[in-house]
Amino acid sequence: MADEKQLDDKNLVARLRDPSECRKAFGDLIRLYSEPLYRHIRRMVQSHDDANDLLQNTFLKAWQNIENFRGEAKLSTWLYKIASNEAITHLEKERKRAGISLDDEEAHLVNLIASDTNIDGDELARKLREAIAALPEKQRLVFNMRYYDEMKYEQMSEILGTSVGALKASYHLAVKKIESFFERND
Amino acid sequence: MKDILDQVNHNDGMTVPEGYFEDFALRMTAMLPEQEWEKKEGVVLPRSWWQKVRPYVYLAAMFMGVWCMMKMFDIMRPNSSGIMFDNNPVLTAAIDNDYFFNDYIIVNEEQLYEHEIIDDLYETGFTPTAYPDSDDSDPSLVEI
Repeated sequence: MADEKQLDDKNLVARLRDPSECRKAFGDLIRLYSEPLYRHIRRMVQSHDDANDLLQNTFLKAWQNIENFRGEAKLSTWLYKIASNEAITHLEKERKRAGISLDDEEAHLVNLIASDTNIDGDELARKLREAIAALPEKQRLVFNMRYYDEMKYEQMSEILGTSVGALKASYHLAVKKIESFFERND
Repeated sequence: MKDILDQVNHNDGMTVPEGYFEDFALRMTAMLPEQEWEKKEGVVLPRSWWQKVRPYVYLAAMFMGVWCMMKMFDIMRPNSSGIMFDNNPVLTAAIDNDYFFNDYIIVNEEQLYEHEIIDDLYETGFTPTAYPDSDDSDPSLVEI
């Protein structure tokens, strides 16, 4: 599956660099990456509507900068970087708009999870989401990418611009905090 | 903790409206603005004189080739005379000439009557007495 995706990426990058094929190839890129990027963004912002808007912005930015994409980094790394920046910028804007601090953001996100109608009813999964929402922003990103996306630390390092060691420590801390959350809420 | 993460099994529990990703891809593709380099790509470069004429030259060469090929096959055909009587005034005149026809065209002498041969001989000034030693001389002819 991973090899298949790598082949798809190679083929896509070649087509994206051909001006006559680029628009069509970008349509394929949207079909290939819309779901993983949507999930990545939504795990950060929780709301479906916000995730939808941010996903659109992610692809628009990628399209506007496609000429500068040289294929040196992996396509997925480049897209995840844009999506992560979009999600973090959106959360900062929301905090400023609502006049809430970083600490209050946890309660805000938990409320969003509680009122989320697009959920499959798995209680344990919902509780884990609440526990993740209580994490600091960077730890939340690291935990989501490692646990849900099963991403390698090396790729995460490229996306977030943090060393592999720091990411491992961050993930370990996040797991500890989630554990405490479950103990407190049992 | 590991048990909890194993139980959740990477399921984030988030759902999306039905057909969301298919609709999203269509909407998003239609939303992409046109880029400057896409416009440049659409520019048609002016064609040179040779580029304009080239297809016609190739077409003419193809017809020429077909004509040559047919001509060659016609010449190579075993029963082809290659020369038509109607188009050749020398042959037409020769065939109209009875002498030529009898002497050169009708090669089977059995087709001719004997008296026609004798008539021909006399008309060309033949006298049997001029050939007294001839074994084939007919005595009846000598009396004439």
